[in-house]
Amino acid sequence: MSTVAIAEVRAKALKARAELEPTPWIAPVKDQPKHDDSNINKSLLSYIWKDTDQGWLKMLGLTSAGVGLLTFAIIVTVVKGIGMWGNNKTVGWGWGITNFVWWIGIGHAGTLISAILLLFQQKWRTSINRFAEAMTLFAVVCAGLYPILHTGRPWLAIYWLFPYPNTMWIWPNFKSPLMWDVFAVSTYLTTSLLFWYLGLIPDVASLRDASVGTLRRKIYGVLALGWTGSARAWNHYKIAYLLLAGIATPLVLSVHTIVSFDFAVAVIPGWHTTIFPPYFVAGAVFSGFAMVCTLMLPARKILGIEHVITPRHIELMCKVMLLTGMIVTYGYVMEHFASFYSANPYEYFAFYNRRAGPMNHIFFLMVFCNCITPHLFWTKWGRTNLWAVWVASIFINIGMWCERFVIFVISLHRDFLPSSWVAFHPTWVDISLYVGTICLFLTLMLLFVRFLPAVAVSEIKELRLEMEHAEHAAHEAETATMAAASGGVPPAAHAAPISGKEG
Amino acid sequence: MATLQSLPVFDENGKIKERPMSVLWRSLEERIRGGADRAALAAEFAPGAAELPEANDGTSRRSFVQLMGASAALAGLAACVRKPREQMLGYTRQPEGVVPGKALHYSTATFLGGRATGLIATSYEGRPTKLDGNPQHPSSLGGTGALDQGSLLQLYDPQRANTLKYKGQDRAFHAFLVEQLAHSATLKANGGETLRFLMEPSTSPTLSALRERLRTDFPKAKFASYSSLSAEGWHEASEAAFGAQAEARLDLRDADIIVSLDSDFLAGLPGTLTHQLAFANRRDPKAGEMNRLYVVEPGMSPTGGMADHRLAARPSEMTAIALGLLGRVARFSKAADLARFAGLNSTLSAPQAKFLDVLAADLVRAAGKSIVMVGDRQPAAVQLAAIAINTALGNTGKTVRYNKSILLDPNDGPKGLAELVAEIKAGKVDTLVITANNPVYSAPAELEFGKLLKTVPNAIYLGYYDDETAACANWFVPLAHDLESWGDGLAVDGTATFQQPLISPLFNGVTAAELLASLVGEGDHGSYALVRGAWDARATALGLGDAIPASKWEQWISDGFAAGTAHEDVLSANWEQLAKSIPANAPAAVSGVEGYFATDYKLWDGRFGNNVWLQELPDPVTKITWENAALISPATAKKLSLAQNDVIDIKAGERSVRAAVFIQPGQSQDTVQLALGYGRTGAGEQIALEKGFNAGAIRTSTNFWSAGTVEIFPVPGTPHKFAQTQEHSNMDEGIKRSIALSATREEVESNKLEEVNENRGEQASLYEPVKYDGYKWSMAIDLSRCTGCSACMTACQAENNIPVVGKEQVARAREMHWLRLDRYYVGSEDAPEMIHQPVMCQQCENAPCEYVCPVNATSHTDEGLNDMVYNRCVGTRYCANNCPYKVRRFNFFSYTSDYSDVEKMVMNPDVTVRARGVMEKCTYCVQRIERARIETRVAGTEIKDGDVHTACQDACPSKAIVFGSLHDSQSAVSLLMKNPRRYDLLHDLNTRPRTVYLARVKNPNKELA
Repeated sequence: MSTVAIAEVRAKALKARAELEPTPWIAPVKDQPKHDDSNINKSLLSYIWKDTDQGWLKMLGLTSAGVGLLTFAIIVTVVKGIGMWGNNKTVGWGWGITNFVWWIGIGHAGTLISAILLLFQQKWRTSINRFAEAMTLFAVVCAGLYPILHTGRPWLAIYWLFPYPNTMWIWPNFKSPLMWDVFAVSTYLTTSLLFWYLGLIPDVASLRDASVGTLRRKIYGVLALGWTGSARAWNHYKIAYLLLAGIATPLVLSVHTIVSFDFAVAVIPGWHTTIFPPYFVAGAVFSGFAMVCTLMLPARKILGIEHVITPRHIELMCKVMLLTGMIVTYGYVMEHFASFYSANPYEYFAFYNRRAGPMNHIFFLMVFCNCITPHLFWTKWGRTNLWAVWVASIFINIGMWCERFVIFVISLHRDFLPSSWVAFHPTWVDISLYVGTICLFLTLMLLFVRFLPAVAVSEIKELRLEMEHAEHAAHEAETATMAAASGGVPPAAHAAPISGKEG
Repeated sequence: MATLQSLPVFDENGKIKERPMSVLWRSLEERIRGGADRAALAAEFAPGAAELPEANDGTSRRSFVQLMGASAALAGLAACVRKPREQMLGYTRQPEGVVPGKALHYSTATFLGGRATGLIATSYEGRPTKLDGNPQHPSSLGGTGALDQGSLLQLYDPQRANTLKYKGQDRAFHAFLVEQLAHSATLKANGGETLRFLMEPSTSPTLSALRERLRTDFPKAKFASYSSLSAEGWHEASEAAFGAQAEARLDLRDADIIVSLDSDFLAGLPGTLTHQLAFANRRDPKAGEMNRLYVVEPGMSPTGGMADHRLAARPSEMTAIALGLLGRVARFSKAADLARFAGLNSTLSAPQAKFLDVLAADLVRAAGKSIVMVGDRQPAAVQLAAIAINTALGNTGKTVRYNKSILLDPNDGPKGLAELVAEIKAGKVDTLVITANNPVYSAPAELEFGKLLKTVPNAIYLGYYDDETAACANWFVPLAHDLESWGDGLAVDGTATFQQPLISPLFNGVTAAELLASLVGEGDHGSYALVRGAWDARATALGLGDAIPASKWEQWISDGFAAGTAHEDVLSANWEQLAKSIPANAPAAVSGVEGYFATDYKLWDGRFGNNVWLQELPDPVTKITWENAALISPATAKKLSLAQNDVIDIKAGERSVRAAVFIQPGQSQDTVQLALGYGRTGAGEQIALEKGFNAGAIRTSTNFWSAGTVEIFPVPGTPHKFAQTQEHSNMDEGIKRSIALSATREEVESNKLEEVNENRGEQASLYEPVKYDGYKWSMAIDLSRCTGCSACMTACQAENNIPVVGKEQVARAREMHWLRLDRYYVGSEDAPEMIHQPVMCQQCENAPCEYVCPVNATSHTDEGLNDMVYNRCVGTRYCANNCPYKVRRFNFFSYTSDYSDVEKMVMNPDVTVRARGVMEKCTYCVQRIERARIETRVAGTEIKDGDVHTACQDACPSKAIVFGSLHDSQSAVSLLMKNPRRYDLLHDLNTRPRTVYLARVKNPNKELA
């Protein structure tokens, strides 16, 4: 084969590959043809040293005001009683538990990205995992408020639900799914926190090393836990990280499964169904990715990290949403089908009431948001037009809140005996708590992106090296092929990649 | 006699106002002389001998008891806190019979409409905490109505009037007595010409004796009684038929066919308790022949709900219906007396004629064993037709007896009041003594009684509250509660009944007898001396010597009534007079929309307006709490373009009232029903204030029960919001559900109870069934007996310290009733059947609430009770969510922390007062089970069937609720478990409820099918 012919084949192959992989995981930046550790540091870490931005301050002011509202609503709830919420004799759980499950669901993207995708060696997780993990953590914090607040006597609930030895020898009721919730959510919170923090250590060490001024150096120094970046540290770090990923992986499935047991174990039509665990987990991942998109799209622009969170990342997240959205839709369809096919009149009525009852507008809003919106992502345009993705992700967030409301409140408000059927109306405290937790979440996110690296910088550097090596390897393989084709000798194999001290 | 302690006097905020004057009374004499002769008493004994040793701070005996209790409660804290040294004293001498923590029971009575209902009061350390029916008393037979139950709370109402007032200024009772004695001298001079009495309807022999004495002293004085619920038509009819004021005494035990022309005899209102039981005893075809009930009524009532056939008719059609019925009975029966009525034929619609044809045939068939009863608001023609039918069919003496009225003023209608008003206008009244309940509020509007009352110089009003009448009368005297004073009266059958006090007057109240006695100079004798004196005076007539022997008296007081004193006189109707008085034609029906008035099931004539238990009790039919409504049928509402919650002005003549529309299935067409007793404006009744609207505003003497044609004007603006405890009335909404089951007599007799059978029996389970070795508590509720009267709900509230949450919270669906009465309509909106179902915790053996509680706060006992551990509850409400019966109630707020001292006195000490954030529910009155267990353990025996009654069971006038243990195969509840009508609510969930239901049986006439 002639050299010309080979060159032609090569050009064709490259072209085909370029079409398949539109952008690399780390996109080139203008005036910087090639990334190196220093400019990665510059682009991903140095914004922390910049002066506080006015826009950031304004946003923080706004969200802090919301946290103030949250605090007020909490005080009102604790001082006056649960009566300040809209719950009543029939609807024992209203917005409180709806919000709890919504927030827990949102947390799911983080664990999925950081743990499962790590184990599956999905490179694209690297750019978004830190952000998603932080989101998880803050979402679980918001979620955790509700189960405590929604009890009649939170000052007792806060520890009576834990199995602690006491003189009365009273243990919690291990048969109760709420008990399982306590374990599931607290494990989830702990694991998420450890995972997030462990990943942060090398980056915090970078910040420590680059910080100007003693105070900053001290704070980041303490947070870095004496990270030296030695090979041994890296070795331990990698093992620990992998182990935590292994621990966190079942949690992705278990947390929402157990949360769904709160309902599946009950006898209420619309709750009492075996489809809940997979359908809840899918819904959680669905809402989690939607929330990542909602927050990431503006954040990557504002923080100037578009080169590491590329449209290709966003496309992939859209695909996850498309898949989980369809699983959720399947869940809805099956629920309604089962209610008809089971010939159980109460079951039938529960779903009839969702479609045709007094609150069916919420059901149809849910169907629109969760079942129709994700189909936008079948199209390339739908996945790549960032405005479209952003709006769709907000719809999905709304839809998933509606889903929980539909399952919990609409099932409860009309169950077995029509004599006890009631309407449900939220109060200002319900609304304040919800708005308040959103603001708490945003406040924590704002503080996070201000003071900590929003992207796992050390992992990006690692990825860059890997990509470089891959490129080299590909190039050499190509050269070897060419040499073989032309009868030459292949050059010496490239040295193994080195993960040295970074930052 | 048991010694009684005097309890502190409370002010209007329920705080202790003054120290009790007398601590103990050692003899009745001392008690009678009371505070008046304290000086003499003090002289008789060494100074201080009448008092317990007082500490320097004036600590009285009562305070010692309170301190004792508090110190016991705080004893545990002593270990933590170093307390200052204090001297504590217990009872130096224990009052006889009082064991702290152990209840004592006394018989007493309550009076409504003048008739006595015998009660047994439960008292803890001098506090009455519960009222139950006296099983021996002929007006109760053990049952109570919601009003009787609620009257207990009235005792502890902190808003009760507590001071005697003259033109708004506080006066002492003695000052009043002195002034009235002086004034009575001038009255005596003119023979009492300017003295008038407006009395509460009464049957009291004591009052009767006092009135005789007043008549002697003031021969020209006049007495009149007024009740806003007076049976106007009946007074006229009985005068015509019997030439005297009579009353109909019903006995439904042998009545096979019962016809109610607007008679709400199953509603649990005063005088109906025994009818409920007699009726219910004939509602199971397996236990004897069933009766059949036909009801013709303008609005839906509990009686209409129990009817086998019900016809909704406008009030102005009732005369035509009654005459039509009389004519048909005359034609069918061929009774000679009725021959003259055979030609009666009023204009009726086809369905009405059909109904009456069948009904008349049934009546005639059951001649001698049938009864036609007529409601109080029906005109004379309807009453007369019923008298004629009952007499001609030979029902008199069997199912009904006409007796001379036992009321002191038999005609308690507006006529007497109108005469009084005329005299006031003419300036002929100087002294007017009012013991009638709040006549300024309840008098017909055109009389303008309030305005005129202000012009009476010496108007004396004896009232329970600082109400509308109190504001218009110069003198206001606080009235003592029935449980605070001695009194007497007659049961429905004339049996003399005694009212025994359980507690000294909390708020300085006096009785009507004491007030009347004040005009003859005996105002300070006390209620006991007056009652005992009156009875001693009657002793000779009763053949008991000069005075009632002590043993006899004690027997009467302890029984609560004097057995064998029923009135046996019988009146018979005069056919000539009847024929003359029964019109040949009914007046034409009122054109347009017809307004009419109704007695409220909760507030009665308005006197229970300040009673939070009754205000929050849902109306048995509408399920509305805290107010009344303008009830309009669905078709009429459509015709008038009105919707539920619309605000309307109802105009009758020149008067109008603003009300909110409530669409009532089963309401007659083109009518609007307005319940009396609401829309109060009295300053001293903050609870009653402006709840609902005052239907009395369009009521006049001539239109006493019917407002005639009314015009309805919608008022634009925001719709009203009713606080209902049940908003959905169709149990088959969306799907068919087996909830409150009904069957016909034929189905029961032929054992074709498919739906019932499907809802009974063991279901497959993977688990070993739990074995219960000892008691297995269980309850059976017979829907055939339940009328929905709601007495059980109030009894439960009283027994279990259930808080009241207020209208706003009820509207938010947070009422706390452990026991509720679900009311469903079956059939068309215009002619539905109504069925009631009491639902409380079903005490499931497979309880869905138990396994979901994360802290084990609700768990099962080895006797099958589903217990609630309040201390352990953290309030996740998961149990309430998972309860398919939705019987769990949550303390959304602290509903009990703001009770004033006096309100706390009503609490049952055996039942925890629940804190905020805690779940609660029916416990099967576990405190009563535990009491029985303690007693039987001490005695070394077992709890026998009938030893434990739940509060709802005790109250139920028709004995629809049976409680007991299943371990005894012969217990009443075990036998009911095997009843073919027994079923489990939501059986397919396999919750294995311990509370079971017996399907209701209807006895329809095939000819009306």
